[in-house]
Amino acid sequence: MRTVSIREQPTLSFGQTVRLTLNGIHYRLFRAAVTVVVVGVATAFLTNTLSETVIRRSVARKTRDRMEEMRRGALWAARLSSSPALEEILAAVAHAGPDDPICRETARMGALTQDEMPLFRSGARKAAAYLSFFSGLDYARLRVLVKTSRGVAIFDRFEDEAEMARFEASLRSLRAVRFVTSLEEFRAFLRDWPGIQARARRVQEGYGAAIAKIQTSLAGRAILHALTDAGGEFGEAVREAGLILDQKTAGQVADQAGRLLQKQFLEQSIATADLRKEVGSRLGILPKEVTVDRLWRLLRSEEAASWYLEKLKKAENREGLTPLPPASHPLDAGRVVRLARLEEEEKALMRAERVQAADAGGILGLGERMSWLLFVSMLVCGVGITNAMLMSVTERFREIATLKCLGALDGFIMLMFVLEACLLGAVGGGVGACIGILIGAGRMLAAFGGLVLRAIPLGDLLVSGAIAVALGVILAAAASVYPSLKASALAPMEAMRIE
Amino acid sequence: MDQSKPRANSTRDADRRIIIRTVNLRKHYVMKGIVTEALRGVSVEIGAGEMIVAMGPSGSGKSTFFNMVGGLDRPTSGRVFIDEVDVAQLTATELAFLRCRKIGYVFQSYNLITCMTALENVTTPMIFAGVGPDEARERGMSLLELVGLKDRWFHRPIEMSGGQQQRVAIARALANQPAILLCDEPTANLDHKTGMEILTILQRLNKERAVTIICATHDHRMMDMCDRLLWVRDGKIERVARRDEVHVSIGSIDGK
Repeated sequence: MRTVSIREQPTLSFGQTVRLTLNGIHYRLFRAAVTVVVVGVATAFLTNTLSETVIRRSVARKTRDRMEEMRRGALWAARLSSSPALEEILAAVAHAGPDDPICRETARMGALTQDEMPLFRSGARKAAAYLSFFSGLDYARLRVLVKTSRGVAIFDRFEDEAEMARFEASLRSLRAVRFVTSLEEFRAFLRDWPGIQARARRVQEGYGAAIAKIQTSLAGRAILHALTDAGGEFGEAVREAGLILDQKTAGQVADQAGRLLQKQFLEQSIATADLRKEVGSRLGILPKEVTVDRLWRLLRSEEAASWYLEKLKKAENREGLTPLPPASHPLDAGRVVRLARLEEEEKALMRAERVQAADAGGILGLGERMSWLLFVSMLVCGVGITNAMLMSVTERFREIATLKCLGALDGFIMLMFVLEACLLGAVGGGVGACIGILIGAGRMLAAFGGLVLRAIPLGDLLVSGAIAVALGVILAAAASVYPSLKASALAPMEAMRIE
Repeated sequence: MDQSKPRANSTRDADRRIIIRTVNLRKHYVMKGIVTEALRGVSVEIGAGEMIVAMGPSGSGKSTFFNMVGGLDRPTSGRVFIDEVDVAQLTATELAFLRCRKIGYVFQSYNLITCMTALENVTTPMIFAGVGPDEARERGMSLLELVGLKDRWFHRPIEMSGGQQQRVAIARALANQPAILLCDEPTANLDHKTGMEILTILQRLNKERAVTIICATHDHRMMDMCDRLLWVRDGKIERVARRDEVHVSIGSIDGK
């Protein structure tokens, strides 16, 4: 019989530990499944939110350009109708880079020199920041701070020192509101304000003069009508007045103006009693229930479009509706269908825009409330996992003590439990991530319709999935620390209970 | 009724090396302010290759004594020397080594790991000792053969009877060829015949491989086989006697 001198017990290799852990999980599959489900639910929630946000952002990016394009006609019609408000002038310059055409245009309108322009731009940026602060407040707070003044009039009211003092006092009393800059900077800005305002007024007057010039070249047409010629003579007139209009934008403006005119024509047509009756009888509803929405939905099919155009022609001959100007796309059935489709697209884009507005603040731009919900759900899951693992440790106390009698180190026992939790967390996270992403994508499909298919950001979704799985593992590991410590502290004599 | 014949000592007591030595062991537990003294000064010397039987009523400190001797617990005062190494001086990893290599444990309730097969149960201590998987499997199979369970190596504990489980437990206890075997009522849950098989194995180990066996038991047959008997009562060793100084009678039922 040999004597063995005492040495340090070697630690087990990682592979061995994993194998032993997997063995344990395999035997207790049901309990393990519960942990997996718990982690899976939390992860699904997280990925759902993340994927929705990610898809929403991607859709937003894709739709923003399209939206701008579709609105160009209306935008230019508004621009050429009246000179811009001071707030608009300041905002336009504040958000533009130095080489932006809008800066050149502003300089031209206000006859601002090379030196004046940079000063004006920095002043405009400050003014825009303050203006956006004030416009971001709710009505009650705004009332307290500046009574009924709005926009640039707010700056004017602070000429009075007493008003300024009152403002400072109210600002201090509203503890939840943090002003954009220090009050010192605000005072400095207010000192510069008269100069900025004067320049902005010059710009405004310049625009006014330009618009007056353009009005003369309207030759009795409505603005939209004139804009259909934006690629040609009218565009030239606009450029001569000093506004910047490149050929590509002009083309888009002309297209959109034409579309708007045709759309308006069709929408106004439904005001005629006869046509209402016709459409009503075709749809099987009362004439007074015939709305513009219903009309557009009807006009989506080519057959219904040509039917409607016929009725329209008959009514035209009788009542004499305002005729349309010659357009690049004549108003036939095909065009009507296209208009209806564009109408549908615009509605979807507007819906997308509305949905964007809900995102603000919180973690990863998820929104304050959502971040809070996520945190709570993670906490609950963590507690659940800790509970389940503690039960597991209590059940297995004899087994753990026996393992220690066989030579298991405390660290090994702890590692075994933590590993088990991590593995289950990873599996739960993976399953949860898949489910979450599917649900998120499904909901986005329902919210945005076909727009989503063009804009699915696969890369971002995979990253969200990876984050969720990592979080699942971390959550499970963290939740298992306490039970593992208890397990590793178990005395081996627990295995031997001699009666 | 058989009268057991006094056995000649196979080895002189004086020639034996002392493998376990306790010096004035004391242990008390404090629970909610109440102090319970489990051991009140136990001093024993156990020679290598001896078979010792410890007896005593429940609450006598028998299990506490076993925990001390087996390196499972530390005394509040006094010392335990295993192979002349003071157990209290060992670090946690060294203690783990001790439990892995030097001492084998056989429990009353078998304490097999339910999610492992018999072979895996037997090879677990070998894995902890750093033995390679192939060698571990070979040695495990030979150990199972030793206890007569070679054909059941792939069975889980739940698929085996009590006696078979206890045999697997003995095979596991022998996994790293320990010098000491600590048995807690090994035959208590077994029937007469199976118990006899277990005892035969233990006796063979003691005689052929010179494994020191320390048992807590009430089994008269084991008392018959042992070298010394310890009576534990009230936290002290009441009496120590050699086998040949004691009269053990074993009854049988089959009328022979």
